[in-house]
Amino acid sequence: MERGGEVDEESNPLGGSRAAAGLGVPATPFYAWPTVDGQLGLESEDKAVEYARRFFFWGFFCLPWLWAVNCFYFWPALRGWPATSTPFPRLRPYIVRSALGFLVFTVLLASWALTFAIGGEQVFGPAWNNLVMYNVARKLDLTLWN
Amino acid sequence: MDPSVLDTLGIDIIGVMSPVSICMLLVVLIVYSLGPPSSDLAAGANPGATTAATLVYQESPADPPAQKLEGALLNAAAFVALVAAVTFLLLLLYYYNFTNFLKNYMRFSAFFVLGSMGGSILLSFLKHFSVPLDSVTCAILLFNFAVVGVLSVFSAGVPILLRQAYMVALGIIVAVWFTQLPEWTTWTLLMALAVYDLVAVLAPGGPLKLLVELASSREEELPALVYEARPNVSTRPATGSLELQPLPQSVRSSAIEFVNLEAEIVESTNADRSLVEIESVEEERSPLVGFGGGQQTGSTGRRNSSSGDVEVIEMTKGIKLGLGDFVFYSVLVGRAAMYDLMTVYACYLAIISGLGCTLILLSICRHALPALPISITLGVIFYFLTRLLMEPFVVGVSSSLVMF
Repeated sequence: MERGGEVDEESNPLGGSRAAAGLGVPATPFYAWPTVDGQLGLESEDKAVEYARRFFFWGFFCLPWLWAVNCFYFWPALRGWPATSTPFPRLRPYIVRSALGFLVFTVLLASWALTFAIGGEQVFGPAWNNLVMYNVARKLDLTLWN
Repeated sequence: MDPSVLDTLGIDIIGVMSPVSICMLLVVLIVYSLGPPSSDLAAGANPGATTAATLVYQESPADPPAQKLEGALLNAAAFVALVAAVTFLLLLLYYYNFTNFLKNYMRFSAFFVLGSMGGSILLSFLKHFSVPLDSVTCAILLFNFAVVGVLSVFSAGVPILLRQAYMVALGIIVAVWFTQLPEWTTWTLLMALAVYDLVAVLAPGGPLKLLVELASSREEELPALVYEARPNVSTRPATGSLELQPLPQSVRSSAIEFVNLEAEIVESTNADRSLVEIESVEEERSPLVGFGGGQQTGSTGRRNSSSGDVEVIEMTKGIKLGLGDFVFYSVLVGRAAMYDLMTVYACYLAIISGLGCTLILLSICRHALPALPISITLGVIFYFLTRLLMEPFVVGVSSSLVMF
């Protein structure tokens, strides 16, 4: 079944790009490749699943950007609603979870950072000055310019 | 309907020039917004730290020009010698198949550059604009930035766009650090590197030439930080020739390219599947590169710059430009930005036209070419011409209301 699916994926883009090359127009977007890079990226779903899973698990080590990369790279798998049939049934769960994780992390971090920035010393008291990054940098002398 | 040189060249030129332009623009913005380096402001009292490029002589504004020139030349010579030594070391390591060591070293250095040097630039921004970012968020963001960068440098399974963005980011960060060098040292260093580049890539026995030949005889990618333009396989319109008389060889090769276009796509789906993923080394475009060998189509410059070395070869689609070129182009423009914006425009145009000349040469002679000499020479000439001749003229003319 998986084999058949792959053949389908590959014949599709081939037809598309050949027609496009013949007509001299850019190929219309098709989403049968698992990655945004089309045939320049990963080609089989097996490899894509491998990478997506690795990125997804490493994302828990405080690395939400890996989730973002996952979502961006495997955008064709993320695209499409659960109702419609996705061409990548094994890949999709990781990508959806990555997207959710990234959103949750971003919301949490942004709300904390905004609270910190807007609340300022009124909320955090004198400890604010010890936490704000430019004071830390000044204290540790980390900057390139004065 | 003959395909001309410009068919391949046009897309290649855009694919290389836009990242170079972005890199230079951002370096200029950073240098401009953060102000002159501290070494220029309080140099006498507080000489900058000794770096690899100021080993011999620490410039101070009070010195007479002769002493500055001599010291700057010595600095440049020392730095070039260092670069040459490091390149030979790299060549030796590569010759004896320490490829994994090289890759891990590159990863480490990318992490170091992104994390500490990039972090330092970020902190300078935060301090300069008093952004109330807390240290925890900052640390998390920086950590993410660095880790994703390391993954994207030498690993498959990362979007091409991301890898290119990180290459440009590395170039920006290193270039901003290089602009901290004293002025005379910067200019002599740039000229010396241009000459070194020329020798190392073209002279028989030059380290980069040897390295490139070794890599191509092994049919491997260079273990170096190289920006690679996106190979244009199916996005290129297959028709449309510009009116320019085609050179015989390039016509032949681009004809091959068109013929092979479809075969390539077909084969890259089945034949290369096994190839791509065997090891997740730095293979970037391996569906196209690791091909049967008949696919030497578009012109490709490849440059390698682990420490400022440069070369260009052509073997596959997508031009490769070493990170060292990004860095030193941007250093030149960044240094020009410390004087005036007029010099920035002049240097930008000079560098871009030099790069265009290099690309045209590349598509004609089809082997590795150094990308620094033409651009840097033009850039330096234009800088001094602008600074010494054009600026007094324009300022004089406009201040006495003759023109503008």
